[in-house]
Amino acid sequence: MTQAKKTIATGLSEAEAIERAKGGDAAAFEGLYGLHKRRVYSLCLRMTGNTAEAEDLTQEAFLQLYRKISTFRGESAFSTWLHRLSVNVVLMHLRKKGLPEVSLDEALEPQHEDGPKKDIGARDNVLAGSIDRVNLERSIESLPPGYRIIFVLHDIEGYEHNEIAEMMGCSIGNSKSQLHKARMKLRDLLKLSRAEKASRR
Amino acid sequence: MNCQQFQEVLPHIIETGGSADEEAHLQSCTACSDLVRDLKYIAEQAKLLLPMRDPGPRVWTNIEQSLQREGLIREGRMSRQGHTLTITQTQKKSWTPLGSVLAALAVITLAVVVINYHPRAIVTAHNSPATSSITADDQTLISQISQQQPEVRQAYEDGLKEANAYISDAQKAVDNDPNDDAARQHLQAAYHQKAMLYDMATSRSLP
Repeated sequence: MTQAKKTIATGLSEAEAIERAKGGDAAAFEGLYGLHKRRVYSLCLRMTGNTAEAEDLTQEAFLQLYRKISTFRGESAFSTWLHRLSVNVVLMHLRKKGLPEVSLDEALEPQHEDGPKKDIGARDNVLAGSIDRVNLERSIESLPPGYRIIFVLHDIEGYEHNEIAEMMGCSIGNSKSQLHKARMKLRDLLKLSRAEKASRR
Repeated sequence: MNCQQFQEVLPHIIETGGSADEEAHLQSCTACSDLVRDLKYIAEQAKLLLPMRDPGPRVWTNIEQSLQREGLIREGRMSRQGHTLTITQTQKKSWTPLGSVLAALAVITLAVVVINYHPRAIVTAHNSPATSSITADDQTLISQISQQQPEVRQAYEDGLKEANAYISDAQKAVDNDPNDDAARQHLQAAYHQKAMLYDMATSRSLP
């Protein structure tokens, strides 16, 4: 499926739609929207954790796409290019909002400094096999914004640390450190969620 | 090496592997090996998360209106349904779609029933084979795809398994708390994901 050539609308390939959209063909652009809206919206939603904001940012990303599509030269896949454009739209929005994208001061729970002593001997604390998608999505939503963005970009969207560092204007080490803290925080959140579920039974 | 020292270099260990000392600690310390296992597991599970929700219709309406206001497109130039067209393949096939269409309708109907949030409907959906790894309908669809376009069979099978697993997870969340709106939205999205796969498969047979 992923290898196959995509077509949209009535037999128009994605490449043809891009070329037509570059020439201002609104119907071709509409086809591109249909093809990519889900991925762009999901990215915005995961990065912001807010439905209304995600919809606004999806709108802004596609408006920018319409204005900038003539600059697309095909050096990367169109989906990669659009994805990067969308990430930039979200990051710009977060900067305007003044939210900390990456904060080195954001501390983890106190037990992190104390080491994992509380886990010793507690084999039932292992998460493996106990995470489902719904819980994971919720826990990601609950992450502090700085952690969430790095986690989404690296672990879900597959960006490398050097790309994240470039996009976010931070060091590669900072990106790695934040990712680690995000995963640690997620581990806590997922365990908490599991414990709450168990206590309801 | 103690746990404190190990955890200080943990991000590096997860990224590139550890030294002999670090590996030795990992082998001997249950807490640290559990921690590493958990962190790797979280990263693996995150990779499996798919784009799963569509934006509301207002997004497209706003885009269209903005472009019209800016004079980039003329009013009425865009179709009202164009963006709902599904992705298809360039190679058209002529296999009989009737069974798949019926199966797709069954999936969509089931989704509608579940979205109504009636407790009895939820129980019915939970016991439905749609929540297992591959259902009989899925298997029929995969068989048809195998005959007509074997190169995409695996992609469809993986997609259906993924959708079914998502349905199963979301269904559990709804069962756990029937008043949980977010869980219902996940369930709706999961069924939508599956319906889309059927839709994509059946679209391939259209002239």
